[in-house]
Amino acid sequence: MTHGPGEVVVTGVGLALPGVGTPEALLRRTACPVTGPAPEPFDTGARIGRRGHRYKDRATRLALCAALEALRNADLIPSDGEEVTVPGDTVGVVASSNLGNLDTACLTAAAIAERSALDLSPMSLPNASSNVIASWVAIRHGLRGPNLMLCNGATSGLDAVHWGAALVAAGRVRRAVVIGVETHNAVVEDLLGRSAGELLDGAAAVVVEGARWAGARGARAVAVLGPYERRAGLGGCVEALLPDGAAPGVWFTPERYAEGLAGAVPVPGAVPRYDVTGAVGRASGALGVLQCAAAVGWLARAGTGAGTGPGAGTGSAAFEAAGPGAAPGPAPAFRQALITSGDDTADAVAGLLLRPAPDRCAPHPARAALISMECSR
Amino acid sequence: MSQLVTGAGAVASVGEGVDEVFRALCAGTSGLGELRGFDRERYRTRHAYEIDDRPAPGTDLPGRATDWLLRAVGEAAAQAGLGEDLSDVPVLVGTGLRELRSAELAWRDGTPFDIGRLHFGTALRTRFGAVRTHTFSGACSASLYALALAADLLTTGAEDTVVVAGVDTLTESMYGLLDRVNGEPPDRLRPFDRDRRGVLMGDGAAAVVLRREEPGAETRALGRVRAVSMNCDATHVTAPDPQGIARAVHEAQWRAGVKPGDIDLVLLHGTGTQLNDAAEAAAIAEVFGREVSGPLMTAIKCMTGHTSGGSGLLSLIVALESLASGRVPPTLGLAEPLPEAEAFRFVREEAREDGDLRVAQIDAFGFGGVNAVAIVERAGR
Repeated sequence: MTHGPGEVVVTGVGLALPGVGTPEALLRRTACPVTGPAPEPFDTGARIGRRGHRYKDRATRLALCAALEALRNADLIPSDGEEVTVPGDTVGVVASSNLGNLDTACLTAAAIAERSALDLSPMSLPNASSNVIASWVAIRHGLRGPNLMLCNGATSGLDAVHWGAALVAAGRVRRAVVIGVETHNAVVEDLLGRSAGELLDGAAAVVVEGARWAGARGARAVAVLGPYERRAGLGGCVEALLPDGAAPGVWFTPERYAEGLAGAVPVPGAVPRYDVTGAVGRASGALGVLQCAAAVGWLARAGTGAGTGPGAGTGSAAFEAAGPGAAPGPAPAFRQALITSGDDTADAVAGLLLRPAPDRCAPHPARAALISMECSR
Repeated sequence: MSQLVTGAGAVASVGEGVDEVFRALCAGTSGLGELRGFDRERYRTRHAYEIDDRPAPGTDLPGRATDWLLRAVGEAAAQAGLGEDLSDVPVLVGTGLRELRSAELAWRDGTPFDIGRLHFGTALRTRFGAVRTHTFSGACSASLYALALAADLLTTGAEDTVVVAGVDTLTESMYGLLDRVNGEPPDRLRPFDRDRRGVLMGDGAAAVVLRREEPGAETRALGRVRAVSMNCDATHVTAPDPQGIARAVHEAQWRAGVKPGDIDLVLLHGTGTQLNDAAEAAAIAEVFGREVSGPLMTAIKCMTGHTSGGSGLLSLIVALESLASGRVPPTLGLAEPLPEAEAFRFVREEAREDGDLRVAQIDAFGFGGVNAVAIVERAGR
């Protein structure tokens, strides 16, 4: 049983990562990890300013940076402002983080044991609630739609993308900004038993939007969301998404996926595979959103390389020109990106297909109007 | 489109199992007690509504919230005839604080705890074989948010059956920070009273099985979910906004196709804080207008404490039991309602018998301005 989220597209991507600014750069870094000294940590103040953020934790600030860039990239926020240009109740927020506020909880508990609750800073109160990340994104941009916080383990980021799409498909909102974020600190490093250098300190965000609503405001789609699955194992998840061993164009593997160790490899060997955590560190709840961002980079490159449409990444075709689903069916498997989070040791594996936006599939204006109507249900 | 609630489960300080919990609440039994698991000397506040399942006073164990969740889900699944196999059923869990209490114990005291069990997917898979599990950490409206998402899955035809649950336990960090910001420490939770002093946390879990409505299945259902709204104030990170709450109440009634005059019972969020109760009362008064004295109103946190992410679903189960039985638990400790709630028809001091209750509204609001409101109705008849 495959549950496609319906006509939902990606209209914006934002990153807050050390040394990587765009989906294409994230893909390049993933394909060819650089050696040498680690890049400087991402400077959140340079993007969102320093005033008003004193009591926000690092994960919240990173999430605000990625969300701002994704909303700007989707043309939902002007380059010189922060308020969305669409009604705030048409926009939802879905954030994903497993480790985001662990430090507040643990350090506060330790401070109480050492002294007393009276010595705590009341400004820490919001950070004791795990949904503080999603809340601040909504407050900063006036987003009054449903506001979800996923803390769902290894698959959490990809699950968050799915729930963003589900909110759109159910008609709750027209669009949602989905953010994946993790950071490291003494508490996280201790509880995970890993050093700071192994762990992500960053965020990624995507805007998922109903194709009809993206079309209505003339927004350009950079990808189409295909089906999502959550299964007990990697093999079953991939088989559900790509029946009969169909080969995707690229495979974004689970974190530190080791071929051959976990039984049969579910994707043909000729398919290029990328582990984004090799480039940015173990990403936990941020992984799925990072993978989607990198997959958008792959789709842009594939669009240019294959010569199947107008220049990718140049914004040459407005989304409304071709309309959603302009191709008679989904793109063939080899033009789709397979994304998987979680492995056979996790409680489940989540998978998602990301497909090229139709302006690169069928740039045929004569058919566009009719198809647009069909897809505007 | 409506959905049927075909099973329910609950674990709280006042009892284990839906029947026991509902009987206790109708009898005016409170789960209030002196702090059991934390060092009382470290706080001004000394009370909470805890589940008394620790090995000895002042000691604490990891994984308690997970245990309650599994028990509540097990009760709901059994009643719905799903048994112990949920391998084909999505399980959506709303929680404010996940297993952060276990993380506190692990990091500070070195208590063994697998950090991969901060969310509930692993435990749900081990016990029920469930794989489509989702832990939403959405503060104090989390379980009603999860109910809304489940209702959407049924409405869009993606699923036939979904398990929805909520759970929370006290974390020392949240308890301590609330202690820090409270004025005079509360010794009990008094929703909507003029002399309320603030919130006290409570332990608990709740679960329901939600099914798409089929002809003939109705007689075995506990009740029907007509609609659930969810939104965000987007104004303040902790303080509620009456306008955002009013929008959520209005949207829920609109989605359910009911008017304020159709509502027979309101299970208020009622946390006993200055801000929540004033904001909620103002919002209810605004949306209900002249009908505000119509429905019976009650708030069960006076007996269960604030069970955080699980509180909305616990209130929903109580509402369904009230519609089915005609009995409504009282709001204990309510001596004089705050001015905004003067016209409300509160159930006070003891349970009220009213056989003709048909439609109920359930409120849940959380930090970050996350609001969810459910409208349910009695099954059958």
